Parts: sequence; C-alpha cells; structure tokens
Amino acid sequence: MLEPMSPQLPKFEDHAAQTVKTTTCYMCACRCGIKVTLEGEKIRFIQGNPDHPINKGVLCAKGNAGIMKQMSPAKLTQPLIRKKGSERGSGEFEPISWDDALDLLTERLRHIRATDPRKLAYFTGRDQMQALTGFWASQFGTINWSAHGGFCSVNMAAGGLYMIGQSFWEFGDPDWEHAKYFMMWGVAEDHASNPIKIGIEKLKRRGSKFVSINPVRTGYQAVADEWIGIKPGTDGLLALSFAHVLLKNDLFDKDFLLRYTNGPQLVICAPGQANDGLLLRADATDDKSDTQVWSLKSQSIQPWSDVHCEPALFGEYQTADGVTVKTAMTLLAERYLSEEYAPQNIADKIGVDADTIERLALEMAHVAFRETVEIDTPWTDWAGREHKSFIGRPVAMHAMRGVSAHSNGFQTCRAIHLVQVLLGAIDCPGGHLAKPPFPRHLPPPIKPATEMAPNTPLSGPPLGFPTAPEDLAIDANGDPLRIDKAYSWEAPIANHGLMHMVIKNAVNEDPYAIDTLMLFMANMAWNSSMNTAQTQDMLRQKGEDGEYKIPFIVTCDAFNSEMVQYSDLVLPDTTYLERFDTISLLDRPISEPHSACDSIRQPILTPDRDVRPWQEVMLEVGARLGFPALVKDDGQPKYQGYQDFIVNWEKSPGIGFLSGYRGEHGEKSLVGEPNQNQWQDYIDNGCFFEYEIPPHQRYYRFANKDYLQWAKSVGFNGHDGPIVMELYSETLQKFKLAGQGLYDGPQPVKAVDKQRMAEYFDPMPFWYLPLEQQRISSEEYPFFAVNQRPMFMYHSWDSQNAWLRQIMAQNYLYMNRKRAESLGFTDLQWVWVESHNGKIKVQLKLMEGVNSDTVWTWNAIAKQRGAWGLSDNAPESTLGFLMNHLISETLPTDPATGDHSENKSNSDPITGQAAWYDLRVKISHAVASDAKTDEQSLPQFEPLKPLPGQAPSPEVMRYSAGRQVNLKRSFKDTILRGFK
Amino acid sequence: MHPAISVICFTLFSGAGYGLLSFLCLDDLFDLNFNLSSARHMGLVVVALVLITVGLLASTLHLANPRNAWRAFFRFRTSWLSREGVFAVLLYPVALFWLFTLWGSDAGGSKVLAALTFLLCIATLFSTGMIYACLKTIRQWNTALTPTNYILLGFMLGSLVLVASGAGNVTIALIMVGAAALGKLIYYYWIGQPAGPTINSALGFTRATVRLLDVGHGEGNFLTEEFGYEVAKAKLIWLRLISIALAFLLPALLLLAFGATAGIPAMLCGFAGVFVERWLFFAEARHVVNLYHGAQAT
Amino acid sequence: MKLGLVIDLDTCVGCHACAVACKQWNTSGTSGPLSDYEPYGAEPSGVWFNRIRHYEVDDYPNNKTINAPMSCMHCEDAACVTVCPTGASYKRPEDGIVLIDQDKCMGCNYCSWACPYGARELDRESGTMKKCTLCVDRIYDENLPEAERQPVCVLTCPSHARFFGDFDDPDSEVSKQVRQRSGYSMMPEQGYQPTNKYLPPRQQPAVETHKPRQVSREEHSAEDKPMAQIQRWIAQQLKRQA
Repeated sequence: MLEPMSPQLPKFEDHAAQTVKTTTCYMCACRCGIKVTLEGEKIRFIQGNPDHPINKGVLCAKGNAGIMKQMSPAKLTQPLIRKKGSERGSGEFEPISWDDALDLLTERLRHIRATDPRKLAYFTGRDQMQALTGFWASQFGTINWSAHGGFCSVNMAAGGLYMIGQSFWEFGDPDWEHAKYFMMWGVAEDHASNPIKIGIEKLKRRGSKFVSINPVRTGYQAVADEWIGIKPGTDGLLALSFAHVLLKNDLFDKDFLLRYTNGPQLVICAPGQANDGLLLRADATDDKSDTQVWSLKSQSIQPWSDVHCEPALFGEYQTADGVTVKTAMTLLAERYLSEEYAPQNIADKIGVDADTIERLALEMAHVAFRETVEIDTPWTDWAGREHKSFIGRPVAMHAMRGVSAHSNGFQTCRAIHLVQVLLGAIDCPGGHLAKPPFPRHLPPPIKPATEMAPNTPLSGPPLGFPTAPEDLAIDANGDPLRIDKAYSWEAPIANHGLMHMVIKNAVNEDPYAIDTLMLFMANMAWNSSMNTAQTQDMLRQKGEDGEYKIPFIVTCDAFNSEMVQYSDLVLPDTTYLERFDTISLLDRPISEPHSACDSIRQPILTPDRDVRPWQEVMLEVGARLGFPALVKDDGQPKYQGYQDFIVNWEKSPGIGFLSGYRGEHGEKSLVGEPNQNQWQDYIDNGCFFEYEIPPHQRYYRFANKDYLQWAKSVGFNGHDGPIVMELYSETLQKFKLAGQGLYDGPQPVKAVDKQRMAEYFDPMPFWYLPLEQQRISSEEYPFFAVNQRPMFMYHSWDSQNAWLRQIMAQNYLYMNRKRAESLGFTDLQWVWVESHNGKIKVQLKLMEGVNSDTVWTWNAIAKQRGAWGLSDNAPESTLGFLMNHLISETLPTDPATGDHSENKSNSDPITGQAAWYDLRVKISHAVASDAKTDEQSLPQFEPLKPLPGQAPSPEVMRYSAGRQVNLKRSFKDTILRGFK
Repeated sequence: MHPAISVICFTLFSGAGYGLLSFLCLDDLFDLNFNLSSARHMGLVVVALVLITVGLLASTLHLANPRNAWRAFFRFRTSWLSREGVFAVLLYPVALFWLFTLWGSDAGGSKVLAALTFLLCIATLFSTGMIYACLKTIRQWNTALTPTNYILLGFMLGSLVLVASGAGNVTIALIMVGAAALGKLIYYYWIGQPAGPTINSALGFTRATVRLLDVGHGEGNFLTEEFGYEVAKAKLIWLRLISIALAFLLPALLLLAFGATAGIPAMLCGFAGVFVERWLFFAEARHVVNLYHGAQAT
Repeated sequence: MKLGLVIDLDTCVGCHACAVACKQWNTSGTSGPLSDYEPYGAEPSGVWFNRIRHYEVDDYPNNKTINAPMSCMHCEDAACVTVCPTGASYKRPEDGIVLIDQDKCMGCNYCSWACPYGARELDRESGTMKKCTLCVDRIYDENLPEAERQPVCVLTCPSHARFFGDFDDPDSEVSKQVRQRSGYSMMPEQGYQPTNKYLPPRQQPAVETHKPRQVSREEHSAEDKPMAQIQRWIAQQLKRQA
C-alpha cells in the first residue's frame, strides 16, 4: 500500500463532519450491500459494502448513481387526488392530506372487503417485499395479487422448480469458484447485476471457457470466449440437440440419473387411458405412494425408495397386471435420440452450424467427465450411503430473460436443465449450485388460494404451485377465479400471476369487473405494458354508464411515472434511502450458494417531503381494515408500525421476516423467538445476516442427508426426504391428460384450452415455434425483434437519472450491418418498424454483433413527454421509442383456423409468462427528407402536466456534499519546473 | 476542431499586427522604401499595436476563467502559449520605446529597439504557430508548415495593410502574397497525405476492422463539442477555394492590375481570405481523440 | 512512485460502474463539483473523468465486442502539462499523478488539445479544466480503511477489470499484470508514455472434445436408431449386473 499521506497533502475530507451507515441498494433487483457516507445531511459517497455476501464491495453504475435518484426532481412530494370532474389521464391533480387520503382509501377498501374482496386487484412491480404485499393481499382476502414475475422470469422459476427444485438467479448460481466451462443463455444484464460480473471474472481468471448464447453480442457476451448468435426463441432446440449429441455418444452421467432423478422411475404406457404417462405407483389411487422402478437385482418391480434394489435406468417392462411400463429415461432417450434433434437437422432453424452444436456438446462432456473436480469432504446421502468426496462436473450455466420471455420459455428452461442433469452438473462442485432455501421439493408444497369470503383472510398465499388440475383457481364452470386468469386453463402453472393481463381483463370485465386497482412501483401505463398506447386508452375507458371501467386506480410510487398520471389516488413513497425494509428469506432470497442470507434497509436520510413508506401505509390500512394478523381482539393495532411488525410477527413459531439474530438476545439463527433488538443487531452487522452452511452440506443438497435434515429444521422444507429431480414431469402429464379428455378430474371444456393442454403440457422438454410466430408469416415479417436494458439501467427505474441518462438518452434499433446493407439501409437512418400489432418510426443503427435475422433495441429508455421530471424535448421522448407498441398482450388471428379468440393471451401456455420476445417485424424506409422535423420517433404522446408541488428541473446541476479542498501547486514549482 | 471565433480573430488580427509591425521595423532598419513620414510611421506602429491588442483581447474571450489569465506567463519554460504571451507582452514596452524614439526623428528610431521589436514580432508569430504545431494530437497542425504559415500570412496581411494605408511597397506585398500562397498550398498538399494514428492503433486492435458501437455519452460532451466538429467534404473544398481566392488570388490580381490604388480592397480581401483560412485551419484539423469516437483515421 | 491503472479488456463488460463511481466521488472531491448541463433536458451532458466506449472488432460473425474505459493515463511525458501556460496542470514528482490546480487554471482548453485520450474536460461553470485525480483525495487518506485507499473506479469495478498500483515497483499487482498479460498502451505512437496499461483479451481457452464414440461394425447397421441405442444400454446394465 501507499505511504501515509505525504505531509504536503491537505486534509481533503472532513471526516469529523461525516458519518457512515450501511444499508441495502435498491437501484435494481440485485440488492447489494452499500455503505453510505453522509456529510451533514448530504450524501458524500455510496459504495459497495466489502463485507456483504452479494456484492463483496463492488457496486454497479446504478448503485453509484443513487445520489441522483435521491436528487431526482421527479420525486413525488405529497399525496395527490385526481381533481373532481377532470378526466383520468389528463394530469389534473390536487394535493390531499395523508389523513384524508387514507380515510378515502380505507373506506373504499372496507366496502370491497366486506362485500366482494376479489374486486380489489393489487399488483406490484419492482417490488422487493412480495412477502409483505402478498401477506397483505391474503389478509385482505383477495386472490388478485401478484408481482411482476409474470412478465419477467416466471418461466425460469417454474421451469426449475418443477424440474430440479431450484432455478437460476435467486434460486441458484453457477459455481464460480470451480466451474471450468460456463454457458450463458439469453442473459443481458439479467439477474443478477454484480454477482455475475464478479463470477465471470473469476472464471476467466482461472482460464475457464465462457460460451454465450445470445442473438446480440453486448454486455456479458462481450467477454465471452465464444459467441453463438442464435435466432431468438430457438434456444430449446439447441439444448435438446446438445442432449441428442450427449445421448448418442453415450456421454451422460448414468449414476447421477439413477440416484437423483426420476429417470429410472416407471412410466405407464397406456395410450388412450386415464393413467397413460403417469408414474407407476405402489397404490395407483394414491399419488403420494411410492413410485416404482425395475430392480435388476430381483428382476421385478420395486419401490424407488428401495435403494438397494439396483434399479434399471433403461427398459420396457410389464407389471403383474400386464401394464406396459418404461423407465422415464427410456422415454427421454427415445425422444432425444431421434434424428429430429440431430445438429444437422436443427442448424438452419436456430442459425448455428451443425459442427458447432456438436462441438459445444462434446466440449461440455469433456469438461464434465474428463476434467472432473473433487472436493475431499465426506458426506452422506439421504439413503445413508457414505461418500468420501463431492464429485464435481464443472460445467455451469446461467439462463434468463432470453429464454423466459418466449412462449416456449418454460419448456426451453426445462431443456436447459435437462442438459445440466445429463451432465450431472446440478449442485455439485463446478456445476449449478442452489441457494438456500433452495433446493426445495418438487414443486414447493404451496397451493394457490382459491377460496374467498367477505372480511376473511385467504387460507394461504394467493400464489402457489399447482400439481394437478384440481389445484387450479377456477370455478365450477371452469372459468378463471383470478382477474389475471392465472391458474386457469389459460395459464395453469402461472406461479407469478399474469400482471400483463390485469388491465385488459378488468376493462373487458373478463372474467368479472373489479372496483379498485392498486399498483405499487409498476409502470403499467408505459414500459411495463405490452401495447402501451392501447393500455393508456384502457385505463381511461368508460362504460355506457359513464363510469370508468376500472373505477378506482391507486398508485404508490416514489416518482412521477407515467402511471401516476392515470391514477385517481397517488400515494407518494419514500426512496430506498429513507426507510426501513427487509429483504427476507420468505421473499426473494439473496442467499449465496453456501450461506443463507437476508438483509435490511435503514433510513439514511429524513424525507424532506410529505411522503410515507408504503410498508407503513399498508400496515396502517391493514389495521384500520381489521386484518386479523394486524389487530388485537379489541380491534386495536397489534403492532406499532413496520419495525415492530417485522420483529414480532411470526409466520410460524420462530420464523419471521428476518432470520438473523432471533431468540430473546439475538443468539439464534433462522429459527427463534422474536428479538426486540433485532433491527439494531442487523445494523450493527452492516444491515445483513449471513448463515454459513458447513462444508459437508454444501453440495448434492437434493440428496445430502445432513443438509436435508437441517433445511427441514429451519423451515425451508416440509420434510427431509430426498429432492428427486423430475426429468419426466408427471404434473405436466396430468394436465395433458386433462386436455386429452382422459384425466380423472377437472378437464377443460373449451377446445382452445383442450388443445393447449394436450399440445404444450408435455412431460418431457420439447421445442415448439413460439405461439405468436405460429400465426405470423415469417416472410411478411422477416425479423425477430427483441429488446434488453443496458447494464447501467438494468431492472431499475432510473432512465431519468441525471448521470445515467448522460450515458444514453436515446435508443436505436440495431440491425446487422451486412444484412442492412443488403437491404439498402444506412446507419442512423429513420425506418418504420411494423408488427401485426402496430407501427413505429425509429432510428436505425448498424452493428456487427447481432444475428442477421434479428433487430433489437434498449428498452425502457423512452419516456412520455413530461414524465420523470424530464423536459418535453428530452431525447427519451422525442427520439427514443418503446418496442412495446408493437407487442400485443393477445395473440393475432390464426391464419390457419381463423381463430381470433380475443382471450388467448400472448403468453407461455403453461406459465402465462408474457411472451414479449416472440415479436416479428418488418422494416421499411421512413422519410427521405433530411428535415429536422422528420427526425422524431413515432408515435409521440401529449406532454404530461407538471404535478402540484413539483419543482422545475434544474438547467445546470452542481452536486457536492461539502467544501472542496484544492491540491495546490506551489508557486516555486510552477516557476522552476522544467519539462520533467 | 471546433473553430472558435475568438481564437480566429486573435491569430488574424494579432498576426496582421505583428506582420505590419515587422515591416515597419524592417523599414526603419533597412529602408524598404516605404517613404513613411515620422508621423505616418508612428501612426502605423500604433495601428499595428492596436491590431495586436485587439487580437490578444479577443484571445482572452476564449478563456473560461480569464481571472487567471495573468498566470499564463509562468510556464515560459515549456509552454508555447506561455511563450507567446510573454513575447507579446514584452513587445509592448520595447515597441513603445521604439515608437518614442521615432518621435519627430526623420532618421527613424532606435535601430536596436527596431531590431528588438522585429525579433519579438517574429518570436511571437512563431510562438503562435508553435502553439498549434507542437500538438502531436493533431497531425494537420503538427508540422513546421504551421509556424511558417502563421509568419507568412501575418507578413502578408501586414504588407497589405501597408499598401492599403498608402505606404508600403506593392512588390513586397505581391512577394508576400506569393510566398504565403505557396506555403499554404504546400500545407494543403501535405495534410492530404494519409498518416497518423488510426482507430486500430488508438485501441490496440490492429488485426481487424474496428468500429464504434456506442460512444457511452449519447448526447455529447466537452470532447465531442471541442473536437468532434466536422464539415462536409464538399463544403471544405469550396471553402478552401474561397479562401485561396480571397486571400491570395484576388489581392494579387488587384495589386497587379491596379497597383497601390487597389490597396484597400486587396487588404480587405486578404483579411477575409485569411479569416476563412483560419476557420479551415481549425475545421480541417482532426484531433486523435475522434478515433475513440468512431473516426477510422485522422 | 509511478501510480496508475491497469485495465483488463478481457473482463470489462462495459457496465459503466467505474465511470459513475468516479463521477459520484469526484463531484464532491478535490476538484468538484463536476457540473452537469441540462441534466433533465434535451442534451444532457456533464463533466466526467472516466468514460467507457464500446467497439466491435472484426466483421460478423467473427465480431468481438470490446468495452474500453478511458481516463487520464498519467503519462510520463504528459504533453498536457508541457503545454499548460499557467502551471495549473502539473505532474506530481512524488507519484506521477497528473493534476490540475483549480486555483490556477484559466480555462484555455489548451491542455485538452494536447491530450490524445480525451482525459480532460472543461467545467463551464467553474471555468476550469478537470480530470482524473487518481483519487488523490482517497489513496493517501489514513482515515479510510487500508483496502479502500484506492481510486473508486478500482474499488467499485464489479468484474475486477481495474488494478491500481505503483508501476515502479516490479512486485506490485499492476507490474505483474502487465508482465504476465502483455499489457499495452493505447496510441503509443503519440509518444506520451502513458502510465495506464490495458490488458488484451485472453486467448480463447482450448477445450478438448470427447471423441464421438467409435461405432463397431455390428452396431453400424443399427446406428442412429434410437431403439438400438437404448437396447445397448439395456444390455450394458444387465452385463454390469451380471
């Protein structure tokens, strides 16, 4: 390190005037630990907390721009109500006091809760407290709640949780420490921001190979050793071709499959019968009873749990009753060995040559099986078998939005997991590691709530994991119970809801009309909706009675987003630096593979506006409404605000929002009585808690006896039995049988639902053309169109951030240079981009690193004029554009069948994930003239009016936390120095 | 480079002033047959000093923080800008002393002071040229042709002012116009030759084409404003022709055709032409930082 | 001492964290505030010390994206210092940091003309030139934890693509990185001997491939038929059993 400060250096920092506090960042969903240095009441510096398990001291561009979020002129300053007599969306607001605002809201909600609780739809966007908002909704008694996962990454969550008991991002991470081969599928900055960057550097430093599969070579793909510029939406085919090559060359981990997956389990082959494709069980009438395998030792059918029976991985057998059964692995092999998946037969479809596909598969096999890593730690598996070490197949993967935002994303995610499982690279050294509380049993044993009654909390959370048609949220007629139609035949495994359908369904009163739409941090009037302009129209659509179709819209946000303008009541939130928060294990965990973690936020600054943390508001409204969990028997509030609630509320005995410093004196971890000093204990520890898992429990946790017992003891899992990976999904098969009319239980009635179940609920991963593309002529619309956010804005509100927007305030449509030149397009020209749903005018930019059949843009750069404190002539409004205008939340008419069933949402047919990457477009030259007036993106929108109390945005900004100490050069030196 | 009017005016007027003053010194030293009366001589020296002063004052408009302009003399040891300032300032007392010795003397002023003034004029003009010529970052400037041109064009304007004032020597003016034109033509030929760093060497990737993808400061910044100035090729050619015509062809033709009687229009043409020339001097200069902003070569 | 940075182009993902961290620290730092113009207007811009540009090398599909962060290179032969008429720009003899004394600068822009790397930006509000200070107001500050006495760009870089240290010390991390990874200077032909060095992208690691399985003659006829392959596996598992 450097010598101590040389005496001639002045004292730059006034440390005496500074204080340092820790908290948790909220500039995106990564939730890094930060250290904030304050000088007086001003922020001197926000930096990564070096002790924090997530970011280990580093911080991204967004986190570093936190000061500008705090300085934003778009901060809401007071509660607002739409002026009486003014039209919704006209931006006419007047201030209202908090007391009046909450009285108004409470009365409205009280009536809904007492009559028909489902008439409240409560949806949240970039919410980091879903456990709390979900708790609130379930106490209210409405099942119409979800967060933004339905248009984010539910395909990944569901794909993993129904197959391997974990998934990517919050569920699992590549083993950055040991992986020797890393394959990244469809990841922009997606999930998570800093940990992936930290990890990639570790990999590269060790000389591991990094292959990126992505139509666009930006961001992480820049540093990939090999870039596979695949066509969007075809990743599943590539993964299954990898599976083909591995199987064909006998390069897969048979022992892994035998021990840890349902590969050896016997599947009933009885086409046309109600039990076709179901697992053979000890008791056919009890789907909890033991699954069966073929014992090679006894040459008979034996329960899978009999670990000594030496099950067959392959084969077709007969039961005593003469039923034909095959091992699941046999069915899988039959499918993927088919020439349909041979590299040469898929190469053209995916835009990758056959040799490359085969080579990549063989490279992975080589690394997995010939460059095995071993960690010499003895461990015991669930069946008591002792292992002297952890064997690692050091091939790791990460996949995200590029896989999930397609309507084939669920099955594609499964296809990727299939490759990982064939390589034996799940939760082993160098492979894909789960992060506590994952892995969980398949799927987690929570069912979506379906029953509602006035003034009654739900019996469980609104969201859950259906395993059979019986679990759907449908009424006696088979119609959806939820406003977003999640868990209906339209999206049976919609684990995160379908937020993108809420407004349309509510306006169409399909399945029913609602009264109040409450949105938290969700910009549904702009970039969070497909079909933005029509969504704005829907928000102000009135019925014949002159009333709004959605009678009352409440928005809670800290900033003047486009959504604020379409609200009737605006409740201003605090910024992330002004409140207490919990980032809970009950929610979206921030754990690391080898430690269970959670964290808090503490206020760094005192709000200078009439704003309140949404947490406090929710709890207050909940208490006013008499939520049983929030009031005492006498009707008085049980908790004195948010902090008190977090400390003392328990989900089950000993388990609350925060897992650290439990027990009377904070001596217990994960489970323990409430600790009244818990917040301070967190603050003293840097605002996070980390529980390290001992070395012998760190791998193979799906089968690791000690881990499984511990996970049960701390409430992660309901039992300590093994977590068996389901390459073959019986759950999906049950839905398929329902679609085929064979299922012994609820069945869909509508043809479209039957077809969806029968076709897409395949128990084994498969690839199909994304739904929208099935109905769109690829000749008429020759380009795939996708979008991503730049690293410095990923998953953040901050397109308006004064520092970040200097990096980019206009987005372009990027096209492959050679392709563009062949079509006569030039760099920076204006073009029309047209989809089946709309037409936009945008500026083109040519680049090398994009698949030649694909165009793409940075999303959410564009803003409506006047929103976010930006001037009316900001490039975000005049030049930038949203691709959203081109995307419809419903599918186009099917040219083959003429099917224009309005209700068929543009979503994954299994999970309801919004399919905003399925878009196809055509591109044509826009104006020929150079006139400046033509240089404007289209459509343009009316400027929003300034809100009452909104200060004008500054022309020049000179932010500084304190005085500046100049480092002076001496006069002598100035005069006397020569060239050196 | 962004052509700053203040800097253009500075080099234009002070250049002409130094040129004029130089000729006046030379006349005093060697009698160039300008046939100047003492009063006229002194008057013209004052004119030269006014031109110089106007130029120097214009140059301070270029400063974002002129309060510190007085510090500009301190780095004489390394900075051509500082040297120019020092020479320019030194010139005043010397020239004023010389002016004083010219007072009422038909035999001219102090020869020593005239010589000193002349040397300071040359030194200042040379320093002005070297301000630009020393910059390796701008290959269009980084040449001995730059100070040569500054000196020649200053002398040319000085000689044209002299002719316009009714004094001076048409032949000398014609020679100066010719010399300056030759210098400038050589310069244009020279900057037309491809040379210097490329986007490849700028980034260190020399085995393949390098293209800018995104500049990372979408709406521009100081660097793009200061260095990103670009004029259409066709416009540049037109401006070059205009500048050559105004600065050299027209004054030469006017003087050849009408002699000293066309002195004023010849001078005005000269100033206009050099103004365009100076504008082009900046507009055609390609700073290497542009390579980082996507230019393939300088 | 010869302090400077090493930037690893092999791991820089172009996230702009270093640039924003720099802006954040330095706007309240020794040469702050760093003005922002039209922060919410039509042409947002401002004074930054560190900028990241994105390039593509070679043609599709062989293209490689390169993210290049650039700030002051603290050149050994710093022309910006040579040309400065006021002496505001200077190179510290102790550690080689090139600085601008904000009290002396007259805002003539000349130093920025001399810099090939675009490292100097004029602050129109203060009328002075500003540039990377190598966080001179951090690196010697004993009140900071020792590990944090580094330029903030280095501290914050999520992909650890930045190293700070003394190039005069052959055992320093920066010297080692440059030796081991063939660190190079940008635009060396300008002759300014930049202290900061860049590490080129690593060679793509060679991964062997498992040779596709040799198919024996008797198997050959059945090759490519899924059932035949599965039959072989069934046979194998029986054999293993036996």
